[in-house]
Amino acid sequence: MKLSKIFVAAVVFVLTSSLHGQDILIEAESFDNPGGWTVDPQFEQQMGSPYLLAHGIGEPVKNATTKVRFESNGEYYVWVRTKNWVPGKWEAPGRFQLKIDGELVDKTLGLRSGWGWEYVDKISVFENQIDLELVDLTGFDGRCDAIYFSTKNEEPPSSSKKLADWRKKVKSEPNAPPVTKSYDLVVVGGGLAGCAASIAAAEQGLKVALIHDRPVLGGNASEEIRVHTLGIYGNFERILKKIDTEHYPNGSAEAKLDQKKRDDNVKGYENIDLFLNHRAYDAKAENSSIQYVDARQTFSGERIRFTAPRFVDSTGDGWIGYWAGAEFSYGRESSETYGETWEEHGELWTPTEPDDAVMGSSVLWGSKETDAEHTFPEVPWAMPVAREYARVAGEWQWEFSSPDHNQIDDAEDIRDHMLRAIYGSFANAKKDTTNANRKLEWVSSLVGKRESRRLVGDHIFTFNNAKEGRKFPDGVVIEIRDVDIHYQTVLEDEKNPDFISEALFYKTPEYYIPYRSLYSKNISNLFMAGRNFSCSHAGLGGPRVMRTTGQMGAAVGFAAALCKKYDVNPREIYTGYLDEYLDLIQKQKFEKIPESKK
Amino acid sequence: MGNNLLEKPMDKPPEYFVLDWKEGTKLIPEQTDFYIEVDSMGKQNVLALVNERKAPVLYSADIATPVCADGECKLMNIKFYWTLLGEYAGYDRYPMMPLTKHDHDEFDTADYQKLHNLLADDKNLMGRRRIDQLVEKPKMRTVNGVDAVSGATIARVKESVVSGALYSCYTAWHLVYGDIQEQLKTHTLSILDKQMTLDMLYSINPEYQIFAMEHMDAADYKEHYVQLAKVFRTSTPLVRSIIAKRFTSKFKDAPTMQRLFWEAFDEVDTSSRSLMMKYLDEAPDYVADILSTKLSSMSKNQLRSFLGYLSTGERMNSETRNNLLEFANSENETYSYLIIEFLENTK
Repeated sequence: MKLSKIFVAAVVFVLTSSLHGQDILIEAESFDNPGGWTVDPQFEQQMGSPYLLAHGIGEPVKNATTKVRFESNGEYYVWVRTKNWVPGKWEAPGRFQLKIDGELVDKTLGLRSGWGWEYVDKISVFENQIDLELVDLTGFDGRCDAIYFSTKNEEPPSSSKKLADWRKKVKSEPNAPPVTKSYDLVVVGGGLAGCAASIAAAEQGLKVALIHDRPVLGGNASEEIRVHTLGIYGNFERILKKIDTEHYPNGSAEAKLDQKKRDDNVKGYENIDLFLNHRAYDAKAENSSIQYVDARQTFSGERIRFTAPRFVDSTGDGWIGYWAGAEFSYGRESSETYGETWEEHGELWTPTEPDDAVMGSSVLWGSKETDAEHTFPEVPWAMPVAREYARVAGEWQWEFSSPDHNQIDDAEDIRDHMLRAIYGSFANAKKDTTNANRKLEWVSSLVGKRESRRLVGDHIFTFNNAKEGRKFPDGVVIEIRDVDIHYQTVLEDEKNPDFISEALFYKTPEYYIPYRSLYSKNISNLFMAGRNFSCSHAGLGGPRVMRTTGQMGAAVGFAAALCKKYDVNPREIYTGYLDEYLDLIQKQKFEKIPESKK
Repeated sequence: MGNNLLEKPMDKPPEYFVLDWKEGTKLIPEQTDFYIEVDSMGKQNVLALVNERKAPVLYSADIATPVCADGECKLMNIKFYWTLLGEYAGYDRYPMMPLTKHDHDEFDTADYQKLHNLLADDKNLMGRRRIDQLVEKPKMRTVNGVDAVSGATIARVKESVVSGALYSCYTAWHLVYGDIQEQLKTHTLSILDKQMTLDMLYSINPEYQIFAMEHMDAADYKEHYVQLAKVFRTSTPLVRSIIAKRFTSKFKDAPTMQRLFWEAFDEVDTSSRSLMMKYLDEAPDYVADILSTKLSSMSKNQLRSFLGYLSTGERMNSETRNNLLEFANSENETYSYLIIEFLENTK
């Protein structure tokens, strides 16, 4: 992960303008050098900010370092915003300390339950500047959101609403981002769907912004999550082959090869402006039409406003639609709602009464055999989750969903639950002498989600559409893959680990997703592609895999080109230009990319 | 074997069995119109095992089937049992005709138990695979100089089958989960009466419990609410999830009947507790008191839901408040800070 030192140092300086004139808020993600800590922006909407994570899979990570400049010398009270991610009757797993001007500060941090401020100490500043370091003590996912220096002994607020207001004041941040950029199409979310949408639109000459909150593209298919892409290419083989993966085992390091292919291909399009490490945080609609999307650089906090006549929500969580007021659904419809019963699996397939159950999130991981013996620390805080389960690697079945957790609101808890499952299961496996030389090799720190918000379009794609192979006049996505819906095995037996799932497969004929499932019903200029497209819970079971979501993206990208040509909204492509749209999709199969649009 | 069993009542459970067997049960075998066609062995009859009311309790079939691998075939003799819903119920072996492996070794005790576990797994991968797809060798690939093994699904099957007896396991599994399942279920539905439905509710079998709840009317729910509460406490999270979504509406006009369920809050799994919290608004007022004594068993989100519930209307009496205070002052409670914040905000 590269970080421009000069750029970030400047940002930290800007942050020093403050509430009291001499109080300073240092956002941890903006450290000059994060060392071995990683910037984690996944839960910004829930806990308020990207933060630094000491994801050392059991070995303390290198110190994060930064310089803090003060307007005046004197005494400062110091607080750190952090949390103990597994509070309980054991030593907190993610402990860390501060080092100031090379001196370790006694206070151990990462001990409080729930995100909030821990008081560190009162320090003296002599030369208007200090060297600040985060010292990880465990390698087990300690986390630091911010450090606050104040001349007053007054703890900053903890509740999320008050904290957000306080942050704005401390940073003297106006509501609107200082920079506005305009495009023909703004695509938010750089998973397979977002990449395909951007490529398709760019090939048709549109000026595209692709906003993605990670340093690499691909979402669940990226080297950071490592799920292989399934499904067929449908009408979009040429485009999807630029961004998909081989069929290696989930979690395989081979994902790195496909990562390079994907990033190189997308970056090869001159008219795609790629905003990596930018996370959208707001979208505003007027008269049911989105005016802009605001995004923030995840390290520096620098903000940009993106305007366009049309937007694509490929965030997976349907954030753009959510902020703009688009209709959406979450959870399982009753079996009667769309008649999606499959008697063989009854309640596990579709419930009699609707509920909030969804397919879960995975965190993939693996270990390797080495030539020497390796020990793994005791992890008592992981054992209530892992119990007796012992494994040396995880596959797609490592999945967590429960009625106690919303896949969006509780995503950090879900990730952390999976980390406990992984560390605990590996610690159990290490007790077996045959694993003496085995070493934990890789554990993702990202939540690989399967299902969350589903935005509602003019058509809601259901299990029955797949089961019957229903043909639509606007069937632009084609799939043959079984519908498979996951459930947690603990539902059938409490002795099973709660982080392992099983799949129920329904063999279908070839089926089709209509274009009408790819734009919002009530937000007139919003497309959606990816798992947040318009479908029922059971309808998502088949087309949630990534070549299929990639097809959705490509279909949307071509539609956006026609929208521009005729200056119309997505719905009007169906009502007025469907033949031309279908022709365009057919023609692109045989087209080479013009040099000017590469 | 076979027909001579027709005259002999069954007075003990199958050796491997998933249901409960009440002391003194006697089941009489009766012929049915159903049979299983076995390669080269012809039709094998399916019997109904009926109780004193002449109502079927189980179905069974003596099976003799060839198991062939690498051109060599041998006979497998086994007696299968199905539930009234056509699900696997258990099996009996024949001591004089033990099951054998590919190398002719006989099954040991652990192997028989493993076969039972496999047959009880209705979603086993072998249901979706041909036998040749299960014996495919894993493909080796090299990634950055490190060997990575694909074909993990095969490993998954290996974990669940008796070592050296894949073909026997595969044959047995597909006999149990063949067309006969649907035929038996259809037959049961054609003769289903109230007593059979209630017997299922009082069984320990989760499929029976779910089936019973789908076939009970509003009066049945009320008449058998004590048993429903027992099922809620003792059954699987899946069964509990159905009850949790239903009991407040089923007993809306009989709030005292809800008490047993709310009192079981800390006896059930955390997912069931979360489902219960979603129905708090439909709960009787006494629930605030009950749950305020069970704060320690609540997750963060459950506690938040409960506090949200308390903050609307006048649901907090002095007893509830005292319970909250006690929890807030405890040093061992992870989420006591939520209560402290709540009490501060509601002063």
